[in-house]
Parts: sequence; C-alpha cells; structure tokens
Amino acid sequence: MEACMDFMNWLDLDMSEKLLMHLKDPSDLARVSSVSRSLRDFVIANGLFKQLCLRMFPQLSKVAHVMELNNCGVKEPVEVGSSHSMEWESLARDHRVYATLARVCTSFSLRDCISEAISASSTDNYPAETIDNTLLPAGIVSRRAYWSSKGQSNPAVPETLTYKLVSEFCVITEIYIRPFKAYFQRGSPIYSAKSVRFRMGHPKSPNDLGSHLLCDSLPSADDTFIWTYTSPEFPMAQESCLQKFRLPEPVLCIGGILQIELLGRVQTQEMDGLFYICISHVHVVGRCLSPAFVVENIQPSGTFVLKKDMRYKFHTQQSSPDNEAQEISDDQLQRRFRYLRNYLRNLNVIEIEEYEGEEEDVVEIEEYESGEEEYESGEEEDVEIEEYESGEEEDEA
Amino acid sequence: MSNTSENPKPSSSSAKMTLKTSDNELFEVEEAVAMKFCTVKQYFEDEKDSDVAARGSTTVIPLPNVHSAVLATLISYGKKLPQSNAVADNHEEEETKKKERKKYEQGLLKNLMPGELLDLISAANYLDFKEGLEFFNQALADHIQNKSVEYVRKFFGIKNDYEPHEEEKYREEYAWAFEGVDED
Repeated sequence: MEACMDFMNWLDLDMSEKLLMHLKDPSDLARVSSVSRSLRDFVIANGLFKQLCLRMFPQLSKVAHVMELNNCGVKEPVEVGSSHSMEWESLARDHRVYATLARVCTSFSLRDCISEAISASSTDNYPAETIDNTLLPAGIVSRRAYWSSKGQSNPAVPETLTYKLVSEFCVITEIYIRPFKAYFQRGSPIYSAKSVRFRMGHPKSPNDLGSHLLCDSLPSADDTFIWTYTSPEFPMAQESCLQKFRLPEPVLCIGGILQIELLGRVQTQEMDGLFYICISHVHVVGRCLSPAFVVENIQPSGTFVLKKDMRYKFHTQQSSPDNEAQEISDDQLQRRFRYLRNYLRNLNVIEIEEYEGEEEDVVEIEEYESGEEEYESGEEEDVEIEEYESGEEEDEA
Repeated sequence: MSNTSENPKPSSSSAKMTLKTSDNELFEVEEAVAMKFCTVKQYFEDEKDSDVAARGSTTVIPLPNVHSAVLATLISYGKKLPQSNAVADNHEEEETKKKERKKYEQGLLKNLMPGELLDLISAANYLDFKEGLEFFNQALADHIQNKSVEYVRKFFGIKNDYEPHEEEKYREEYAWAFEGVDED
C-alpha cells in the first residue's frame, strides 16, 4: 500500500488535478483538502470545488460571482490588500461557497417543490377545470379535480402548465403527472398526451407574476419567462396512474419557474369530436436550497449572483432547514387548504349524478404531507417512463 | 483467446511495432494499439518523416520511463478498447463487446494493488494514453472514495503540514465530510 512515488511530484506533473477531478462526492474532496495544507491550497488554487459543482450542474456556468452573507445577513467585507491576496481571497471564497453548495445539493431532503400554479396555455370551463386542481392532494379523484385544456381539432397543438416553485433556487430530480380519466363519460376515456417535456427558468420581470396568478391564461408564457433549461422528451403512458418522469440528471432551477409542455393529443371527446388534454395531478420533487443559498439579479442572459448565507448552520446531521421548511409548507398548505375547503363546499351543492364508473369516483382524501420522503417508494400505481429521443426506445409502461 | 473480431483489416493488423521498456524488455505490439499511446505515435511519425522508416516495422521505440509490468497492463488494456479501424458492429455485437470489456476491466482492477495504480497512471501520462489515463485515474479515485484522511496521507506519502489548530478549524467547518468514513 505504499506509494511508489512522492505525491509532491504529482503536483508538479499536474496529474493530481486530473485525479482529483474524478472524485464525485463532495465529502471526498473536502477530506482530501484536509490531508495537508499544501493539498488544500492546491484544491483552492485550481477551483476544484467549483469544477465539481459545474460538472454536477452546468447551469452554474451562469454564476456572475459569489457572495457570502455574514452573521448579520450582510455581505462579508472584503479586506483591502494586494491584488494577489485579493485574488486568493476570491478563490478561497469560491472554495467555501462551492463546497457547501455541492454538499447541500446532494444532501437536503427531497420534497414537493411546487408553491403554486401560475397559468395554463388554455383552460376549458374556467374556473371549474383550472390548473389549480392539479395541486390538490393526489388522492382526490372526483368529477371536478382536474385541469382541462380547450378542445382542438388538430391533435398536434401542444399545451403548457406553468408553476412557481418554493424557491428561486431548487434542485429538481423528478416530476409526477397523472392524466385524468373521465369515468363519467362513456368508455372512461383517459385524456393523456403523447409525450411531455419540462422547462425551467425565471420571469423576465419580477413584477409580471403577481397579476397573473390563477387567471385563465397568460397572453403568452414565452413573453413572460426566459427558459434556461429544456429537458428531453418523455413518452406518456395512456393510463390514469401517477407517472414518474425522472430527469436524466438532477437540474438546478434558477428563477423558480417550471413549465410542463404536453405534446400531442390522443383523446377526443365524444360530444364534440375535439382533442383534449386533462391532467388530475402534478407533483415536482427536488431539494429547496434556500435560505442557505439565495440567487439574485437574474439577468435576461441568465447570469445571476449566488449568495451563501452564513447564518444558516450547515450541521452534520441536519439535512434540511427544518424551521424554514415548516414555514414554507405551512404557507403552501394553508393556501391549498382554503382552496380545498371551498372546493368541497361547492361539491355539496352539486348533485351526485348517475354515471357508469368505478368505485374511485368517491372523493377520497389520502393523507398528504409535503416535505416527506415518500417518493422513493412511489405512489399508487406508478409508471416509470424512460426518456426517449423520438423514434428510439419503446416506453416502459 | 480469440483475436478474430479485433483485427478485421489485414493490412493494418499485420503492422507491428516494438517497444523497449526501462528494464530492457521488448514488447511487440500491433500498430493500432501502439498508436493509442500518443507519445509512441509522435515518435513513429517523426521517424517516418526522417526517412528512417525504410526499416519499417522493425523500429524499436525506447520507453525509458516505463517498467515492463506496467507496460504489459497498459497494452492489455489498450487491446480491449474499441479499435478505430474495426468494422462497425451491429447493436448486439456492440453490447456483447461492451459487457466483455466491463468484465475485463473489473477483473483487471481486482488483481491490481492500489499502489500499482500510481505507476499505471504515471506511465499512461508519460505515454499520453488518454483512455488509460481516464480509466486508471477513475479507478484510483474510486479507491480513495470514502477513505479517511489518514489513509490518504499514508497512501500517497503526504506529510501533514497543518498547524493543529488550523486542521481542527477546517474539520469543524467541513464536519459534514467526516461522517460515515470507512475504517482504516
């Protein structure tokens, strides 16, 4: 087990950088940095933590610069010194910030990341079939718990559902969608789509969002948002189960906006012969990186400032900021509870009509808690779909 | 041991080169494999230019920095790589080859002492053997994965030049990195 060659020779030969770049776990790189002062300085000088983060999340190439907020929540004062020492200080800061970022991106708890719905490209029977229905607890299955697009005679017309996430800085790992099965219609048609794609980005102007929440549709989502990430296309199963779409790699969403693009309609409504898409539930799973990290000054080009808040203690056992998560999910839950309460109140007024359908028509409210790690085991009849480029693999239903 | 699928083209497969190691051993290698060592390739092309190529495949290329045991492993690994001049396989053949390669790689790594990895990386770097460098670097990185700081120090022979309080402070700041580490 003894080294046949002095490691210091390696440093000269630049081989150690190549070796260290093969370390994928931030803990390994952090431990290597504590092997010796020289090695730590080597890691800092070569920005190895930044490189590790960039490999995990290419979206970070848009970081204009990083900042640390000290215990007063203010930017750490920069010591005035020689240009060399300032450059070193900048590298050291990068080291601290990116090391912590790498850690949180891989360790914070997985949770539901949708804060609220923003808009749908079109909505039938607004507000009864609004996009907000997609955020009702997954267990609710009823006549009214779904979003529907407007009808189209051309099945190629796509639809989009746009959501705001719990923070402007989240790592997204997978998205769940359940198409709606209209059991009250003859044949119980399922209004799924052929395939689905996801986009992430930020609002063009921060003020745009406020007035558009929960309205029928935005004049054009493309005018309001700038998309910095587009996923590959995933085939959708023609089944009304909760379908899981796992992104090929976890993606950093900078700006807090996620859009689901539903491509290709498959189901016509008997009544009018038009193609519709209806979705009963949407769920986005990932890790919320705020308040430990905050992004600011997102430019149209996508560049932004990354701030690490040192008031947040990155303890060993802590995997997510418990208190903050409570606050956020309480807020979310309250809003949804109010919506649900109104929804149920309305239900009482509606007559229960006769229909040909299965038992699932009864409104069932399953236990639903945001922030729990239920996603590993899946919910109900999960269907996992592999991504495809058109024409290649088959879908696994 | 069947070679048939690896050298389908007659003209390039018969060209061989001789490499001489630091301990004076001679290795006869197919040109296609030797060309993956860019240092060798460069030497060979320089030779060609200087009209000495009349001697053809009997040129002996000296590798004073590489020991025979190390070269043997690198050549063996190089042979298993997809050959650039090979006939395109159908999907099934490709999958089989991939599986074979994976099995070979696992077997290779199992029989290597961790210390030998350092020699292999060093030699691959000298030979400018990109695929070998990539593979053995990853193997070494995998080896030190989750190992303690002490282990890494011992393995690479690195002296700890931290002041005690400095190291303490660093370990505190990055406490999350020190959980669940393998026993030495």
